[in-house]
Amino acid sequence: MLRDITIGQYYPAPSLIHRLDPRVKIVGTLVYIVSLFLFDSFWGLAVAVAFFTGVLLLSKVPFHYILKGLKPVLILIIMTVMFNFFLTPGEVLVKFWIFRITKEGLYRGGFFGSRLVLLILGSSMMTFTTTPVQMTDGLERLMKPLSWIGVPVHDVAMMMSIALRFIPILLEETDKIMKAQQARGADFESGNIFRRLKAMIPIFIPLLLSAFRRAFDLALAMEARCYRGGKGRTKMHPLKYQVRDYLAYVYLALYLTAVIILRRWI
Amino acid sequence: MGIITTDNLVFEYIRRDENGDRIGEKRAVDGVSLNVEKGQFIAVLGHNGSGKSTMAKHLNALLTPTGGTVLVCGMDTRDEDHLWDIRKSAGMVFQNPDNQIIATVVEDDVAFGPENLGVPAEEIEKRVTESLRAVGMLDRKNDSPNHLSGGQKQRIAVAGIMAMKPECIIMDEPTAMLDPIGRKEVLETVHRLNKEEGITVIHITHYMSEVTDADAVIVMDHGKVAMQGTPREIFSRLPELQELGLDAPQATILASELRGRGIPLPEGILSISEFLDAYRALPAAYQAEDPYKSIPEHIEESVTALAEDEAPLLELEHVCFTYSPQTAYEKKAVQDVSLQIRQGEFVCLIGHTGSGKSTLIQMLNGLEKPTSGRVLFRGEDIHERKYDRRALRSKVGLVFQYPEHQLFESTVLRDVCFGPKNQGLSEEEQRARAEGALKLVGIAEENWNDSPLELSGGQKRRVAIAGVLAMHPEVLILDEPTAGLDPQGRDEILSEISRIHREAGITVVLVSHSMEDVAKYANWVHVMDSGKLLYAGKPAVVFSHIERLKKVGLGVPQVTEIMRGLYPQEKRPAMDFITVEDAVSALCPKR
Repeated sequence: MLRDITIGQYYPAPSLIHRLDPRVKIVGTLVYIVSLFLFDSFWGLAVAVAFFTGVLLLSKVPFHYILKGLKPVLILIIMTVMFNFFLTPGEVLVKFWIFRITKEGLYRGGFFGSRLVLLILGSSMMTFTTTPVQMTDGLERLMKPLSWIGVPVHDVAMMMSIALRFIPILLEETDKIMKAQQARGADFESGNIFRRLKAMIPIFIPLLLSAFRRAFDLALAMEARCYRGGKGRTKMHPLKYQVRDYLAYVYLALYLTAVIILRRWI
Repeated sequence: MGIITTDNLVFEYIRRDENGDRIGEKRAVDGVSLNVEKGQFIAVLGHNGSGKSTMAKHLNALLTPTGGTVLVCGMDTRDEDHLWDIRKSAGMVFQNPDNQIIATVVEDDVAFGPENLGVPAEEIEKRVTESLRAVGMLDRKNDSPNHLSGGQKQRIAVAGIMAMKPECIIMDEPTAMLDPIGRKEVLETVHRLNKEEGITVIHITHYMSEVTDADAVIVMDHGKVAMQGTPREIFSRLPELQELGLDAPQATILASELRGRGIPLPEGILSISEFLDAYRALPAAYQAEDPYKSIPEHIEESVTALAEDEAPLLELEHVCFTYSPQTAYEKKAVQDVSLQIRQGEFVCLIGHTGSGKSTLIQMLNGLEKPTSGRVLFRGEDIHERKYDRRALRSKVGLVFQYPEHQLFESTVLRDVCFGPKNQGLSEEEQRARAEGALKLVGIAEENWNDSPLELSGGQKRRVAIAGVLAMHPEVLILDEPTAGLDPQGRDEILSEISRIHREAGITVVLVSHSMEDVAKYANWVHVMDSGKLLYAGKPAVVFSHIERLKKVGLGVPQVTEIMRGLYPQEKRPAMDFITVEDAVSALCPKR
């Protein structure tokens, strides 16, 4: 059923990484990404791989789940590798028709390809171990300083969490409206692209109306429950750093320092 | 002075034309004066558009009066300084269970109110636990609201209010979108909170059966208080109630009918047990002989409502349906169902929510394909490769729940034309069909060029039904066509459908939660439970299985319970009394 769909790709498991404060994980992901870009050699990437493998083992998320995250960006990776293969000037190894593959091209293609793969694997690690709600919470807290310069951080976070709640409901509703219009003989499958787009109108308008109706209801319900923005609001489970979170920060700092030092040598 | 008082409350909507110019006012609430004492349970009744919801929104300052005053715990709702104190003291539960839950986890949603009030974290945790326990939902605190039933969601909404430590809960038709089980659990919950925690309750509804336990009932009409009193006082004025577009429990109606025939039953009977007591207390001369004696012990059990030799119009053969097969979310919605529907029948499908009724009817017109088994229309398998399923959908018309949510065109007429247009008919023919269908459901010609959004709830729904009728279906399937309507709207829709069945000769398949309606209209009933077809038969036979129906979370019409209460039977009778008319003729000794 559509209501059962989960947004994102959270993989529930009782692991240390899952228990970490979402802020740590967000910062950690950023540190990891920065480290990937600080290196420009395979040896450097190996250091990042070591870090990633450590986190992966701790997280107890099966590796094949994480690999699945590569699927949607596969084309992008292949294109990156191919462009580097063919378009890097240097010592020619193979030549056919107008293409030539150079030694430098092979190296660059392999390097950029690996970096991209590591980048995606690392960031999906975050979504596998953090629920969307935790992520929203973490982002809200991390971005809090921005609210001093007038960025509506709380409001954006509230919108995100409401979206998370209503996406499955609206998906289900879309399905229902589609079926109802099909029951009136609507045809969404045949014709060219313009006809198909036009066939969407009987779905789109009721859906829009329903979204507005729900938004109106929800706004009223929120007001009735004394919602008045982020000011003076408390939380039942405020994010609180535990010892493990501080330790994780220490490890992250060590990793970053190590990366910066190693960068000179490799 | 009471906890909530209104003095001559008036609220006017300003009506504007397309250019935003003022064209007049509409008084939604017109001079209402109330006084609600602490700890009372007040029921507010009224048909849709009687002003009861608008009045309710004044009681926690979601609206402020145009005239008169509203005091909540002594605070004037127009005083902005007290706004949050007022909303905290008088919490509000709304109609749509989905649209008032904010968080993706039950406990986070209950915490939303106290969080807004700036309550410290540990205190919130304590309140959330207490409130969830009070509504009996503590064991679901880590669940997603999407996995709860409508009744459970409404209990979460009540818990969300309780966590703000209110004095009073205002409930704006909280049961209108629920099934009978959900209605019962919500009502029991608030009655318990009222008794045990001393919470004042203002319950707005159009279900008369929900007000019998209230301390006082207020009936609204045209923005004014039309009647006021104890439930007994209100229910003894039955004709007035019916005039106001409301109905009464069958026990009340039956008593009043019998009184009209000279049987001296007291006025204002509210419930089955009161009826039983009153009837038993009658002098022996007025009590009827056991009418079950006149029912033959065995009646011929047919397999359909009509002649068996006729070929079935629609047929399901060992049909199964599984959602998301071979995944963690696998759900067997329909299991091995075989049934036949013959031309001209009025078939009802009953079963509690989640018993597979909705899935079943979607298979009847090929919207869902059975995982196994066959669906036959006029003897042809509709999932054969060459079969034209799009044409089938116009022959087997399906009206979904809340069908008005699918209206999308700029005018009523154009929306109804959508079906015929998809059938590839000429413009004149489309128009002719649409006009015919609109007349059939009783939409006046002056509304044909209005936007469907401007119509009332009941009218919108009839337009949506016309949208299916315009395709000239041979079978009309309706999934709870009365859901969310007030009693008058319910009666109107059902009598239209019954008329269409009689006059246009359309076979009707109706999914319903109201056993009274099923008893009144069906000539064949299928009972479903957990995806299986439990049994089927004529309504009078089906409802004689009282125990069996109760076991699967269903009931029987009130009159059937009354008749069995008066005349307990050792053995299940072959047939039962299922309508008020049945009971009246059984209980009135012939002279």
